[in-house]
Amino acid sequence: MTRAWRRFWHTLLAVLRELADERAYQRHLRAHGRAPSGEEWRRFSEERLRQKYQRPRCC
Amino acid sequence: MGKLLRTGAWILVAAAGAFALAGVALKRGEPVNSAWLVTAAVCTYLAAYRFYSAFIAAKVMALDDRRATPAERLRNGHDFEPTNKWIVFGHHFAAIAGPGPLVGPTLAAQFGYLPGTLWIILGVVLGGAVQDFVILFASVRRDGKSLGQMAREEIGRIGGGIALLTVLLIMIILLAVIGLVVVNALKGSPWGTFTIAATMPIAVFMGLYLRYWRPGRVLEVSLIGFLLVVASIFAGEWVAHHAVLGPWFTLGGMALAIALIIYGYAASALPVWLLLAPRDYLSTFVKLGVVLLLGLGVLIVRPDLQMPALTQFTDGTGPIFAGKIFPFCFITIACGAISGFHALISSGTTPKLIARESHIRPVGYGSMLLESFVAMMALVAACALEPGVFFAVNSPAGIVGATPAAAAATITSWGFPVTPQQMSELARHVGEETLFYRTGGAPSLALGMAHIFSRIAGNEAVLRFWYHFAIMFEALFILTVIDAGTRVGRFMLQDFLGHIWKPLGRTSWMPSVLLTSALIVAAWGYFLVQGVLDPLGGINSLWPLFGIANQLLAAVALCVATTILIKMHGAKYMWITTIPLAWLVTVTFAGAWQKIFSSAPRVGFLAQARLLEAGPQTAQTKQLIFNNRLDAVVCGIFLVLVAAILADSIRVWAGILRGTREARSFEAPFAPSQLEAEELG
Repeated sequence: MTRAWRRFWHTLLAVLRELADERAYQRHLRAHGRAPSGEEWRRFSEERLRQKYQRPRCC
Repeated sequence: MGKLLRTGAWILVAAAGAFALAGVALKRGEPVNSAWLVTAAVCTYLAAYRFYSAFIAAKVMALDDRRATPAERLRNGHDFEPTNKWIVFGHHFAAIAGPGPLVGPTLAAQFGYLPGTLWIILGVVLGGAVQDFVILFASVRRDGKSLGQMAREEIGRIGGGIALLTVLLIMIILLAVIGLVVVNALKGSPWGTFTIAATMPIAVFMGLYLRYWRPGRVLEVSLIGFLLVVASIFAGEWVAHHAVLGPWFTLGGMALAIALIIYGYAASALPVWLLLAPRDYLSTFVKLGVVLLLGLGVLIVRPDLQMPALTQFTDGTGPIFAGKIFPFCFITIACGAISGFHALISSGTTPKLIARESHIRPVGYGSMLLESFVAMMALVAACALEPGVFFAVNSPAGIVGATPAAAAATITSWGFPVTPQQMSELARHVGEETLFYRTGGAPSLALGMAHIFSRIAGNEAVLRFWYHFAIMFEALFILTVIDAGTRVGRFMLQDFLGHIWKPLGRTSWMPSVLLTSALIVAAWGYFLVQGVLDPLGGINSLWPLFGIANQLLAAVALCVATTILIKMHGAKYMWITTIPLAWLVTVTFAGAWQKIFSSAPRVGFLAQARLLEAGPQTAQTKQLIFNNRLDAVVCGIFLVLVAAILADSIRVWAGILRGTREARSFEAPFAPSQLEAEELG
């Protein structure tokens, strides 16, 4: 039961981090072999948000 | 033995669902507990997911986990990334769940709880979830292509063009109608207006925090933002009673509409990280949290439904919006049953994250079932209110009378007793001046939610907090749709204008940004102001327009889906998408036709214009006449678009089935998957 709960929380946190773009940032750092920094976040975030807000939003 | 047990369990689920559905449909003259609706819905969803979606997945789509998805083949660490199915599920659900499934069922409650319940349950399992599922599958098999690209490839240039034009038109109507919902919720409410105004500096603070102080800490700043928003709800009560600040935040409909238009323009033109993105993060988490809370609340409280199964307004004389149960119930409730907009999400980000083909089923079909459940919860919250209160909140003054006494008398004469004292007591409990004429669905939904929440956490004393919490929640994510939608509309317009004069297409060229933002804001702002000025409340004309447009997009998506199924299997499985398509086309045509040509002035735009022409002519009357004719033209455009895409699709289908046209597949070629299970953390 504890294991199931731990897995549930792990998945829930992962969903929240995906929605928050934090996982995408980690992927970006991995893909480009870079370390986290303010400059890197701004670079990632600008591109991510530019793409995100070109797509229609659901009603 | 195991198989026998499983079969027995599914027989039990089916029997419980059938029994609950029969109970919901046949019970009359006594309050029905919401548990009946919840049981009917959940059992139907379970059975549909287990059997119908499994049939489509196995026989029609032949989902194959050995086949590499675009997330794996085109993996780039940005858009294309194989992702755990529950994470994609959460992502997809957060993207499809907007204000539609909350507002639509609330408005349709004027017909009683039964029509909305049946449409939400049956519409989703046979239509909405099928559409999302098939489009997601088609997009995954086509390298994550968008609906417009697939329409162009599978049907032809006309289909692709119509898809693009439809999206732009829907955006304009959608932004106007949800803007009107916010305006009506905040009209004359200093508490609500202050709370929503406070979310703007909070969002800017979050934007700065995220960009300069703690880069990348989105969850952390969202939690801080949420605490600040909750604090602003408490501060809102103080502001509302403040001698100087109170009147500042007490705004009329027109002032709020203008504020919203200015806000939409600013949010579209400002850097996205400053206002839009932090609000969006915050509103996504608040939305998911409140939806979960509402679901839990309904399951725990299980309120009795005060609204009858069917009201007399099925005959088309409803005060919230005019029009008979057919087709207007099916247009009013779009999201929650079937929504064309979902096809854009199913062919947007989601297909690029799907790691295995078997994940398409829980994400495409499953998350739409969850959205349908949200719509059921909204319907329960609305129908749990006393009908007299529900109609007093949602009816415009032009229908029920301009004074509380007149409104209460009119509503009581319909068989739904309510008194001005009762309404004034309720308004006092929730910290509002009045709750009469608060059309748009948001305040009545907030009332329903506040009653449910206060029965779990607190009592009547905290009703005012929960009411304003619910208003904040609704307005927060509606405003996020408005600012993001305005921005998307601006990009679409720039894309189009770039073909005429190249610099206009450059998204970084400020004059083009300012011009196109102004054009988009002016377009939805015009319809918003029209709604504010409408003596019939605005929702009566704008919500059906939005519903028709949304169902039109669903028709486009189902045409694409049918074309793909015909190319895969000939006529064998085309019924899966043509049944919901035939229903949608019937509903959309009937709805649009009536909105244009009905002789009843409250239903038909042209009849309303003629009625106004016959009366005294003032500047405002002339404007109303023009608005009604404009709405008729917009509705006519929708009709023509449906007819064009349908005719084009039928031409393609007939050609393929007769063998005179090549059934060319645009699927990406098979490539074996190399993905390991541990890569999907």
